[in-house]
Amino acid sequence: MTPLAIKNLGLALGGEPVLRDVSLTVGAGEIVGLLGPNGAGKTTTMLAAVGLLPRTAGDIAVFGQDPWEHGTGLRRRIGVLPDPNGFYDWMTARDYLTFFAGLYDADLDAASVTRRLDAVGLSPPARQPIGAFSRGMRQRLGLARALIADPLLLVLDEPTNGLDPRGRREIHDLLAERAHAGVGVLLCTHILDDVERLCTHASFIAGGRTVAAGRVDDLVRTHAAQPRFRLELSGPVPPAAPAPADVRVIAHDQGWAVVDLDPAVTPDAAWRELLFLGWPITAIAHEGGGLEDVYLSVVQSGPPPAGAHTTNARSTAPQTGRAA
Amino acid sequence: MSIHTLALALALTAMAGTAFAQSAPPTLRVELAADPANPAAPKMGDRLLFHSTIRNTGATPAPGVLAWVGLVQVDPGQEQPVDLEDWSAHKAITVKLVAPGESVTTDWPMRLIAAGHYRVVVTAASGEAALTPSPFVDLAIRQKPVVESNRVLPVALGVPALLLGGLLLRRRHTGGST
Amino acid sequence: MNAVGLLARKEAGELLLSSRGLGWLLAVSVVLSGFGLLLIGSQELSLLDNAQVVYDMLGIVTGLGALLAVAAGADAIAGERERGSLLPLLLAPIPRGGLLLGKIAGQAAAWAVMLVLAMPYLWAVGSTGQNMIGGGIALVLLGTPVALGFGFLALGLGARLGSSRGTLMPCLILLLLSASPLLLGPSLRQSAIGVAFDTVNPFSAALNAYDAVVIDGQGAASQVWHGLVALIWLAGTAAFAGVGIHRLRH
Repeated sequence: MTPLAIKNLGLALGGEPVLRDVSLTVGAGEIVGLLGPNGAGKTTTMLAAVGLLPRTAGDIAVFGQDPWEHGTGLRRRIGVLPDPNGFYDWMTARDYLTFFAGLYDADLDAASVTRRLDAVGLSPPARQPIGAFSRGMRQRLGLARALIADPLLLVLDEPTNGLDPRGRREIHDLLAERAHAGVGVLLCTHILDDVERLCTHASFIAGGRTVAAGRVDDLVRTHAAQPRFRLELSGPVPPAAPAPADVRVIAHDQGWAVVDLDPAVTPDAAWRELLFLGWPITAIAHEGGGLEDVYLSVVQSGPPPAGAHTTNARSTAPQTGRAA
Repeated sequence: MSIHTLALALALTAMAGTAFAQSAPPTLRVELAADPANPAAPKMGDRLLFHSTIRNTGATPAPGVLAWVGLVQVDPGQEQPVDLEDWSAHKAITVKLVAPGESVTTDWPMRLIAAGHYRVVVTAASGEAALTPSPFVDLAIRQKPVVESNRVLPVALGVPALLLGGLLLRRRHTGGST
Repeated sequence: MNAVGLLARKEAGELLLSSRGLGWLLAVSVVLSGFGLLLIGSQELSLLDNAQVVYDMLGIVTGLGALLAVAAGADAIAGERERGSLLPLLLAPIPRGGLLLGKIAGQAAAWAVMLVLAMPYLWAVGSTGQNMIGGGIALVLLGTPVALGFGFLALGLGARLGSSRGTLMPCLILLLLSASPLLLGPSLRQSAIGVAFDTVNPFSAALNAYDAVVIDGQGAASQVWHGLVALIWLAGTAAFAGVGIHRLRH
């Protein structure tokens, strides 16, 4: 059963509409990125998804059930890392995990607690209270708490906040491993690199609406601005070899050139054409583009007009997340 | 008895008095005695018992009889009526009717609150009968320290010290964090 | 142990075992010690009737218990929300009623510890007098609903306001008003307003019951009305907190 399906979600807080039309699906084994500017409604969407906020329109189904109606039971199967993420500073990490394991009816012995802490790369001194933890340690502990009951759906708000590059990589590996085991992951983050490395799918919301959603590859292809590349050249461009119409040279010098490609042409076809014209290309590097361009494109352009569909309406078929 | 009850009783007495205005007024006599079991030399905190007898010695019934206990301190320089708030919960009674020759006996418990020399009196009145006090019963109450310092000091100093020790131990245990 | 028991243990642990909790108990003991030392240090106070001393001590313990309940209740929901630790609790599979029960059970445990802490003081100032045991029983029977009622009040208000400071202020004002009979003389309390206030005020109900049991030596059975007032207070504030927790979003 699909871990999370949100369709046309509308939600108001204090009488003010916050979400107007949000849709997304997290299949088993998928890692779906939820992206959008500050105040777009990402956290509200996550809280509604776990049954903490009542919707005013649309549908939410967690494993086929309405989380607002069946929240208590469903939460045994959902692991959530909220942001901000508070702890009981006077407890030790072990006491804290044991406490939450009890709340989830998951009795853990000391060895199990150690394994859980190891899994998130946390091994504090036994008596060190959480109050003395660094931000990164607290983030790891929050993740351990979210994973305490081996949930089938993970809802994570900025999970790599405060982590060093090594810590981020460890968390990426952990999430990829969980997804590989069939866990659906909704990843809310501002770090586009996390999404590019981890997610098969992404959903962009702005102004309380889903403005783009689909496979990350498709989104990049559809929404990214004109693709820009830096070409390394072994010599100057032959004077008698002008660029074809679908390649626009932005700048060039003795050993390099920066070009934009027409979105209608695939890069492979463009490179073949340039080589045929005698360009001494030795290396090609992508410049810019990717999710950042998608983000800027869909967030700046705002929601699609009424009646229009978001591009690349995504499949709900299970996919394995791609890890870095 | 509250002021309101007292006022009501007096009003009832006055109304009853109007009804009996044509008859000769009743005559009340009040006796007061300490209970023989009372300690000979009472001290603060002791409980004493006094017995009063109100007798209608007249020829006509006495309706709406009210009797109350009073206490005055008579130590030189400290002469004053005593507020019985903490001394006794039984401060007054009312009797609907005391027939001629009939008597009403009442017990007045009292807990001794403060040291000194006192006089206890029970006074009876009705709308018809004159205000009739009992003879005084004299009372000398010995002072007794209420709180014993050999009990209070160890507790007052020991409990906070124990908790402070626990707090310091806790801080050392957790490295000073909360 | 079920979720409610775990929560109660956590709450009690936070109230009693943390440095903050121990600090609170230390403050309570200092107040009680101060009162005890005043009794033996001040000639005027040392001549107070023994029952009066016990009565005063019971009133002080009830007031401190209610104060602890207000502080703990304001922290339990609003404080946790401010620190971000409430959301993980709300995300755990605990029914809201269980959350409330766990929170108040923790406060009840803290109140029980306060009662235990008060016993040596009661013994020290009251064992030479009378009705100390009756007073202790009255403290448990009347003081408990009064103190926990203030805990419920703070929990409910904290759930609605979401701010511990915003919760503390009205609760403390109400507590001060409610506990004013501790400070007012009998004459003021016997005015028409005083009598009306005493009739509905749970704190007055407890104090009047202590007065009746300890000073007047009346039996506990005669305190049904006072007990009823305290229980109505407890039930009303529990309902207030229950609705507040149920409506709590995040």
